[in-house]
Amino acid sequence: MSLQLNEKEEATPGAKPDLWQRLLQVIYRQSPALFESIRGLPVNVYKSIYRTTAFPKTERERSEAFFNSFLLHIQPVKIQRHALRYTYTFGLGLISLYLFGILSVTGVLLMFYYVPSTHMAYQRMLDLSSSVSFGQLLRNMHRWAAHMMVATVFLHMCRVFYTGAYKPPREFNWVIGVILLVVTCFLSFTGYLLPWDQLAYWAVEVGTSIAGYTPYFGHQIKWALLGGRNVGQETLIRFYVLHVAVLPLLATSLIVYHFWRIRKDGGISGPEDDESYLERVGGNNGQGANWDWGAHS
Amino acid sequence: MRMGDREQEIFPKDPNKTYGLMELVKGTSTRVDKGPDNMVSSWPHLLIREAYLLAITVIVVLVVAILWNAPLEAMANPAHPTNPAKAPWYFAWLQELVSYNAFWGGIAAPGLFVAGLIVVPYLDRRRRGVGRWFARERLAANLIFTFVVLVIVTITLIGMYCRGPNWNFYLPWQNPNRGNIF
Repeated sequence: MSLQLNEKEEATPGAKPDLWQRLLQVIYRQSPALFESIRGLPVNVYKSIYRTTAFPKTERERSEAFFNSFLLHIQPVKIQRHALRYTYTFGLGLISLYLFGILSVTGVLLMFYYVPSTHMAYQRMLDLSSSVSFGQLLRNMHRWAAHMMVATVFLHMCRVFYTGAYKPPREFNWVIGVILLVVTCFLSFTGYLLPWDQLAYWAVEVGTSIAGYTPYFGHQIKWALLGGRNVGQETLIRFYVLHVAVLPLLATSLIVYHFWRIRKDGGISGPEDDESYLERVGGNNGQGANWDWGAHS
Repeated sequence: MRMGDREQEIFPKDPNKTYGLMELVKGTSTRVDKGPDNMVSSWPHLLIREAYLLAITVIVVLVVAILWNAPLEAMANPAHPTNPAKAPWYFAWLQELVSYNAFWGGIAAPGLFVAGLIVVPYLDRRRRGVGRWFARERLAANLIFTFVVLVIVTITLIGMYCRGPNWNFYLPWQNPNRGNIF
């Protein structure tokens, strides 16, 4: 709304300026600076949070969209055309991350209803399916996303192997990935006990007895996991704390580190990392990461 | 680089100059100290794909969650073991191995599997065939890995589908315990 419009409307004979416009006129006469602030409020609020246009068109604006954004800054401004092919990665790493996100959201919502007690846990499962709005859907999403995540993390590992993406300079990120696979399995396993039904109870009884076969320390490891001789209340609270606090924090930290290292190791792997390609183009291919520090320093 | 006749005609070679015009590249910015590459802006090429993938993932999880209910059996009863009691499917291969030998199945197999995975990039360091699926240069590594994965998947399937009451072997469709997988 501009002042010109107000003056024009004022000039029209017989037309009464409405309350809003009269208010603006009063503000403008008292303090033109305040009037300008109010007029620019939406743009100013947007620019205070995010300093780049929402739909960047030029190369400069597209770069700024990444530099100026907290969420986008872990990603490269420019990316190899090769890395965008779905058939190279099948998006398995990102799908795993998205599933982890779905699991975090549904998991927190489930925590509002769940009680880690052998007397109440199972009843709460029944409540979820009968008296909580979308409770059954919430539990279904959490359960199936968990199974999917174990599968996609494993498939992601297979993809990385078959494309040779674990080779230098990405050795340590592969190690982090292997640890993340193990953490994912334990996250799923600790959640398995929480419904406290026959399936959960005996699966965990079997699973923890496998850990008990460790030579010398087997008995102690099993005791540490169960908090007793058999699966019981102590086990439930241990698995609950591991499932909702310890392992998610560990997984989040490792995921963040895993992603950071992708950038630091020269981005996602591609044919340009091939030794024969490097021989052909001569030495470092200018991919940013100077991983061959032995030869260059 | 030898210039063709047509190029000579357009960019005549000056014998007094030590440099020459090699190539004209179409672009929106200057490139200093960089060879030609194959980069595109992450916005929108990468972001739009990530957004699609998020939408697809959420839709798939929602559809699966609407179609199938998560299993819930009777309340846990420590006095009445299920027969058989099965570990979650991703530990089924370990349980199957444990039924043959507790130490090898419970400790040695998973320990060797994880340790083996961790040392792989430190043993196999030659960067030939990186960035391509099933590169011919990596045939041996791929065969070994495929063998290990197939063995684990097979043992997992046996543990999941072929083991019935008292851990006896059944064909999957004859298994009285079929249906209780997840």
